[in-house]
Amino acid sequence: MVTCAACGTIAEDGSTFCEHCGARLEAVTAPAPAVVVAPEEPVPAAVCRACGGTIADDGYCESCGEKAVSERDHWSELPSALVGGVSDRGRRKTRNEDAMALATSGPTAVLVVCDGVSNVPDSDVASLAASRAARDVLVTGPAGSTVGSWSALLLTAAAAADQAIKDAVGDTSHRAEPPSCTFVAAVVDGPTVVAGWLGDSRVYWLPDEGAAHQVSVDDSAANEMIARGVPRAKAEASREGHAITRWLGPDAETVVPGTATTRASGPGWVLACSDGLWNYCSEATDVADLLHRTIAQVGTAPDVIAGELVRWANEQGGHDNITAALARVAAPVDTVHTDEAVPAEPAPTAA
Amino acid sequence: MADFRTEVFQNEFLSDGATDVHAIVTVTSSGAGTAATSSGGVAEIVIIDTSGSMSGPNIDAAKYAAQVAVDQIADGTWFAVIGGSHVANRAFPYPNAPVAIVQMEPGAREEAKRAISYMRPSGGTAMSTWLRLADAIFAEVPQVAQKHAILLTDGRNESEPRAELSSAIYDVTGHFQCDARGVGSSWEVAELREIATALLGTVDLIRNPADIAADFKALVAESMSKGVADAELRVWAPQGAQVLFVRRVAPTVEDLTARRTEVNALTGAYPTGAWGDESRDYHVAIRVASKPVGSEQLAARVQIAVGGDVLASGLVKARWSDDSSLTARINPEVAHYTGQAELASVIQEGLAAKASGDEATATVKLGRAVQLAAETGNEEATSRLRRVVEIDDEEQGTVRLKRNTDKLDEMALDTASTKTTRVRR
Repeated sequence: MVTCAACGTIAEDGSTFCEHCGARLEAVTAPAPAVVVAPEEPVPAAVCRACGGTIADDGYCESCGEKAVSERDHWSELPSALVGGVSDRGRRKTRNEDAMALATSGPTAVLVVCDGVSNVPDSDVASLAASRAARDVLVTGPAGSTVGSWSALLLTAAAAADQAIKDAVGDTSHRAEPPSCTFVAAVVDGPTVVAGWLGDSRVYWLPDEGAAHQVSVDDSAANEMIARGVPRAKAEASREGHAITRWLGPDAETVVPGTATTRASGPGWVLACSDGLWNYCSEATDVADLLHRTIAQVGTAPDVIAGELVRWANEQGGHDNITAALARVAAPVDTVHTDEAVPAEPAPTAA
Repeated sequence: MADFRTEVFQNEFLSDGATDVHAIVTVTSSGAGTAATSSGGVAEIVIIDTSGSMSGPNIDAAKYAAQVAVDQIADGTWFAVIGGSHVANRAFPYPNAPVAIVQMEPGAREEAKRAISYMRPSGGTAMSTWLRLADAIFAEVPQVAQKHAILLTDGRNESEPRAELSSAIYDVTGHFQCDARGVGSSWEVAELREIATALLGTVDLIRNPADIAADFKALVAESMSKGVADAELRVWAPQGAQVLFVRRVAPTVEDLTARRTEVNALTGAYPTGAWGDESRDYHVAIRVASKPVGSEQLAARVQIAVGGDVLASGLVKARWSDDSSLTARINPEVAHYTGQAELASVIQEGLAAKASGDEATATVKLGRAVQLAAETGNEEATSRLRRVVEIDDEEQGTVRLKRNTDKLDEMALDTASTKTTRVRR
């Protein structure tokens, strides 16, 4: 059995090219690719992130007195050389209510970012449970080989994430303000990027060359106002503009994510992030500029880039928790043709 | 080995832009044992003023007190007795003895008491010679870790320039601890305070010669109860921070800031002397660079170290917040001891002004003292102040200087000025 590295279709033995997408079949033979998932417990930071000094047993730096970040407050994941991310408490919040869960399975990369709703107790528990549950669903791969089957799997993942929140928070789900979080997932399958979301955590497509764009579409009051005809500037400046209209958790009205797909026409990066990052660079072109500047400074290791993006957001004020997860899309295969029409521009399908 | 523990009292919340962190650190030791169990042993020297002014009831009472002290010194303790005038003489072991210091045993005790009975008052007073002789005798037993002296005088250090005494104090500092006692009203509080402060001891007034014996008995018992020879307070502050001050605030106020020796670039050590089972409070103030609201950092590690080993550590923190309900709170312990430290200094300054004839300053300072004593609930200070000033309004600190005050009452107020009351918890 041979699996196409580009689209995951199982080809007949002896084939040279994929029946489905036409890509040259490499000698990638079954058994199915190993699933790489970041370790359950995030790795602690033994080195002071402020000055590089040593962290003493009392939890503070021996040189500058900076408080060592707890594992939950700052961690990074690097499931493969092409996929990595960092989640960080930021400067102003007392705990990190963001969470992420990353994985790779053969050529497929999975990025999940959840942003706990601020100031609701146990939102950090909710976000971590949700992101891991969604990742675990997505990493198994879709039943079919089409983009549509990825979208269906994203719905399944969001439902699993919602259930995981209810399981994790227990009795607190009956509170007036139960723990809840946003949800955004990006699946990178060859040149295809499929995103699913509830809330305002985002997925960006940031090609090395050409126009960058936001793949997800915020479920925010601002966007609803724009849809009703309110001018964008006025909507985004309004007090309610930042309120999210959909989320995961016991009080969610719907847990069906919006989904969108984009197809890479060249190499680039997929970024999944929380608003702790994009609040400082909302426009896709600004995000792309920031990313390219960052890569010029620190190289192409995804966890290092993500760490640098987080550091930058902290420098801008770090008002919220910051999570940035990246997956590299390599140069796509030469020949591309699919049965399913995939728009080059994002096609949000708010379900 | 003794157990030490620390407790930190502070408001760790700072407003945006604030830089100064204050904390009271309570250090408590338990299981310290006694001097008898102290490794390295104990040495005790009793220094009695034998100047001409001591003639009469003072020398008799002092000799009796020295004999009582000798009775209290446990067998095995290294000891000696010094008689001091414008020169210092070793009274026991006898001047012609081949050794300068011996270990206590029943025979030595009897002989020492006999030697004390031979002491005769004559000559002037040069305390530098007393301290230097004590230092030389202690140097004979370098293996002994815990060295303590009691110094008793009744007069001024009149036979030498003040600088001579200061120089001797400087030279012997760190070699032994010394409690200083003055009997009657002819001695100088500032002189004995300088000795006791540098040598990590106490200074006190004994009004009545008959009370010397009880005081000596208590002092020796106290010294014998200390099982930890020497502990140091260590204060770590972050890179770029400044230690504004380190002050012991209970049982008495003592500024240790200038006593710092460097452990490493970020950590200073301050001497605390010997410890029994007891509790002391320290006020530490650190200036750190301000950080953005939401940041948290460590402002100080306050540690107790014995023989180079850190036995307990307390963490002083700084957290910047824009919530004024958090940042505006003044920690009650910090407020209490800030008031008590100011109380000590305004009493001393007020009495000094009064002595120099500056009644206006004396009235203002002692008025402030009355106010602070009331605010911090230091009733002993209030009652001592009452003997020196007429209090018109305690809350406002309005006072009038009393005429014809007893010199002893002023000295009692001065010597006790550094005694603090603890916060009621």
